[in-house]
Amino acid sequence: MFWHNFKYSVKTLLKNKILLFWVFAFPIVLGVFFHLAFQNIEKNEKLKIIDIGVVDDLQFQNRSIFKEALNTLSEKGENQMFSITYGDEEELHEQLEKKEITGYVSFGKDDVYLFVRKSGINETIFRYVIDEIASNEKIINHYISDGMSYVGNENVDFNMMIQNMMQTIESSQGNIENVSNENLSYTMIEYYTLIAMACLYGGIFAMVIMNSKLANMNATGKRTAISSLSKGKLIISSLLASYIVQLLGIVLLFLFTIICLKVDYGHHLPFVILLSFVGCLGGLSLGIFVSAMFKKNENTKTGILIAFTMLGCFLSGMMGITMKYTIDKYIPILNKINPASMITDGFYSLYYYGPNKRFFFNIISILLFTIVLTAVSIREIRRQKYDSI
Amino acid sequence: MTVFKTFWKVVNHYKGTIILYTVLLIVFGGMNMKSNNQMDFVDSKPDVFIVNKDVSNKITDNLISYMEKNSHIVDLQEKEEKIKDALFYRDVNYVIYIPENYGSLVLNGQNPKIEIESTGDYQASLAEMLLNRYLKIQNLEQMAYMEQNELINAINENLGHQASITSISSLDEVGLTNASNYFNFASYSILAVVILVIGLVLASFNELNIRKRTVTSPMPYQKYNFHLLLSSLLYAGCAWFLFCFLGICLLGKTVLSIRGIWYMLNALFFTVSALALALLISTLTKNKNAMNGIVNVVALGSAFLCGAFVPAEWLPNFVLKIAHILPAYWYINTNNCLKEIENLSFGTLKPILFNFFILILFTVGFILINNYLSRRKQRID
Repeated sequence: MFWHNFKYSVKTLLKNKILLFWVFAFPIVLGVFFHLAFQNIEKNEKLKIIDIGVVDDLQFQNRSIFKEALNTLSEKGENQMFSITYGDEEELHEQLEKKEITGYVSFGKDDVYLFVRKSGINETIFRYVIDEIASNEKIINHYISDGMSYVGNENVDFNMMIQNMMQTIESSQGNIENVSNENLSYTMIEYYTLIAMACLYGGIFAMVIMNSKLANMNATGKRTAISSLSKGKLIISSLLASYIVQLLGIVLLFLFTIICLKVDYGHHLPFVILLSFVGCLGGLSLGIFVSAMFKKNENTKTGILIAFTMLGCFLSGMMGITMKYTIDKYIPILNKINPASMITDGFYSLYYYGPNKRFFFNIISILLFTIVLTAVSIREIRRQKYDSI
Repeated sequence: MTVFKTFWKVVNHYKGTIILYTVLLIVFGGMNMKSNNQMDFVDSKPDVFIVNKDVSNKITDNLISYMEKNSHIVDLQEKEEKIKDALFYRDVNYVIYIPENYGSLVLNGQNPKIEIESTGDYQASLAEMLLNRYLKIQNLEQMAYMEQNELINAINENLGHQASITSISSLDEVGLTNASNYFNFASYSILAVVILVIGLVLASFNELNIRKRTVTSPMPYQKYNFHLLLSSLLYAGCAWFLFCFLGICLLGKTVLSIRGIWYMLNALFFTVSALALALLISTLTKNKNAMNGIVNVVALGSAFLCGAFVPAEWLPNFVLKIAHILPAYWYINTNNCLKEIENLSFGTLKPILFNFFILILFTVGFILINNYLSRRKQRID
């Protein structure tokens, strides 16, 4: 009887098109949207070559240090920072208005004037670089005037002095070592919340299957209630069927995100599988809980489950990556009881830190969530008897 | 009036959906609003965290104070996991680890190693530029000044020099960016609230038993349809008014202006096209569950592909090309144009008028397809 019920439960679930859409297809569609929308975000955040203008007049021609430095910064190659248009002020002003350049620089006798369209990061970088060249110019001029006062004007080789000083400046870089973690792709969080959503949405299967065993829900439930079969056996085989179907959905989603969307789940595949299986258990218990605790019709129960899942995913960062971090920072308890956050944080810690204490803490939290919800649900539905219904 | 009253009774049944999408708009449309209203140039400041392992001394303190002046120093616990989490979620762009004995090593003429962690983005590059500039000047001045105070004075004097900078735009850039972000996100709420609710309400009217009663009632078919259309129009108008009113409350004077009227006019054209699409979808399916799925895919798809959730300039070109087939693309394009146009005139508004024209074409297109499909369905019935 166990396997008979199991087989027909699987068949019933796989024939429900609406359920299949929400649990199988919707996460995949959402994954495609994420991929299309987020694939360029991190690339766009990297520093790119900035288009600037330089007023090419007599004053600029007299500023040999600026000429040399701007030339170096606009040389094609890995370290190119600027793409420079040289021209008269009117022409550059027009280009600035048309947003063809970020800003332009014009020179007075000793001063430097920058013109930009608005405040912004490129404009700030432009300003810092020009300020830095101005600082270098000041140091070099100071050095030259010292040299002249020492050896006399006629014996000074200006170009040689400038070259020497430029080299000294170049060799005076700070001793900075970058020790950043390589796995810093924060858009991964979106895919992790997607898996969390799919795990919890899978609870709908458990809910539907449980509803069919409850006498107060439908005719099938009434028939099951009066049958002589062991209720425990029936429920366990049905829940096993819904868990298997749920896992099938997760496997499909994983395959799709890994093969088609190239999502990186880190280098710890067994732990990824463990977390997904445990996450699905969390979803299963949520479905049982909603089915047992709310004496409503199936549509209302589905609404409750979807609303809870979406709220959980919202708090774990699905609609804004920083949301989970903000909650972790200011109301950490909320994410400690949110199953979507536990699953997302599990994937995050695996990707960023590897299988450490935090990962296993998340696994244990989901298992605890599952046990508590299942225990409460069992307490509610066991020994249910109706005199009339 | 019976049809009209019933329409609103059913709408009342879905008030939870309307509230949900309105709250989402307030949360997400309002969340990214910046409060800076300065018209002059303001430097961008990266978010930096400094871990100082050195004891307090003037050299180290001067470096910290320079970074504090030119960046936002984030308040964080000095725990490895907290710092790494902050970096991952971009709460911090750049972390500087000042080593032990840093100050004394500098005074001894050395160039001590400073470890950093970086997100590698624009802000992090800016922070690195700041740090590198400071260290470079410190290393140069170190050759001339060995005494602590002299060295610090020389560094600060050198760093204090700033070129004069003029911003040529007279636009309230922050206010307009906030307005565009709000109205861009509103495209999602408008689509969801208009299509989902109208679709579900019309599906209720189209339920078999209700339909049979309607057909046998003495009310003329044309009058019944006219009342339904009028109610739908009024509902869409209310949704438009609600989102514009919220926009005024959140954005204030930016929306209460000539430019604001263009933003609202754009939202009106978009709402009408969403209404036409809602009518089309309700003709395509009478199944409420299927409608829920279609609406979610259409609304989320439009929002992701057209630039409501992610700025359009960050989307790949091929995605934007695909987005041309959706009304939301033209609506969002108008909002983004309104943010950039310096002076509103017929010449500068031409692209916006073109976008309005395309939205009208979409509306007419949806109505024509809808008419064709309903006529075909009637014949089949």
